[in-house]
Amino acid sequence: MKITIRAFADYREFIGKEMQLDLPEEKTIGELLAGLGESYPNLRREMFAPTGELKEFINIFINGRNIAFLKDMATPLADGDIIALFPPVAGG
Amino acid sequence: MGEHDAGRYQRQIPLLGVEGQERLRRARVLVAGVGGLGTVVAACLAAAGVGALRLVDNDKVELSNLNRQLLFIPDDIGRDKAAAAMEKLQLLNPEIRVEGINRTIDDKTVDDLVKDIDLIVDALDNFTTRFILNKVAFSRRLPLIHGAVRGFFGQAATLIPGRTGCLKCLFAKSPPGEIFPILGSTCGVIGAIQATETVKVLTDIGEPLANRLFLWDGQSGEGDIIITKRNPQCVICGGD
Repeated sequence: MKITIRAFADYREFIGKEMQLDLPEEKTIGELLAGLGESYPNLRREMFAPTGELKEFINIFINGRNIAFLKDMATPLADGDIIALFPPVAGG
Repeated sequence: MGEHDAGRYQRQIPLLGVEGQERLRRARVLVAGVGGLGTVVAACLAAAGVGALRLVDNDKVELSNLNRQLLFIPDDIGRDKAAAAMEKLQLLNPEIRVEGINRTIDDKTVDDLVKDIDLIVDALDNFTTRFILNKVAFSRRLPLIHGAVRGFFGQAATLIPGRTGCLKCLFAKSPPGEIFPILGSTCGVIGAIQATETVKVLTDIGEPLANRLFLWDGQSGEGDIIITKRNPQCVICGGD
């Protein structure tokens, strides 16, 4: 299945603005991100704690929905999904 | 609208029309937070002729605010932000009504603060209070103009009860408070976008950032849009 990852802010530095992936089998968002972490050590350092867990508060949206309101890291991906990754921004 | 008013706004009346300008004059806007975002938004709205601005902040002006909180000068250090901002805005535009309220926005105070308000600007620095504002905006059916900044980055969205999801559809948790790094011009970008959105919603001109999240990357000079969807199970607005 074909999915698109759009990265913003600091994450762009590590994986570029947009990448298209052709996944050979079903994956969850958690599996995809872990795989990305393997391929991009800088991204892994930025997004994952040393324990291997994704850092809290990173924004991960699939087709405009925050995964926290789907099945979180267990949210299954589907053909055509567009994933957006952006850092928490809360100041004012 | 007097001749004096027409003169002051003559460069924007071709955009808004006399009717649009009148809508701004009749509007009452709450600016929640009078810091980096709030001072920029409030100044833009005062200059545009929004008839009534209610500024709310519980803090005092500090030296480190001056890199970005453009309504404050060194003599304001130690003063209540709401009062100092009110004074400057009233000087900027004597034709409008400006209230400066020194108060913490929480579950106990928020209902009074939104009384007689038509639209809320989120110029806050934490999500805990943003969620309080979001809840009252959606229960009172008031448009909420969300904005947030950090460093060179910023985001903005326009949340309209009945038309879009709410802030809780987009963000789940409140990141811990921090002394965040911030450049004044980042506040300038996002604050001005929030002011533009406010004018658009009040005058019904243009297309608001509805069901869209605007992301600003000042480091690379790029703006992007993420199309967003409401959460049908949202505890705040689900089923709306």
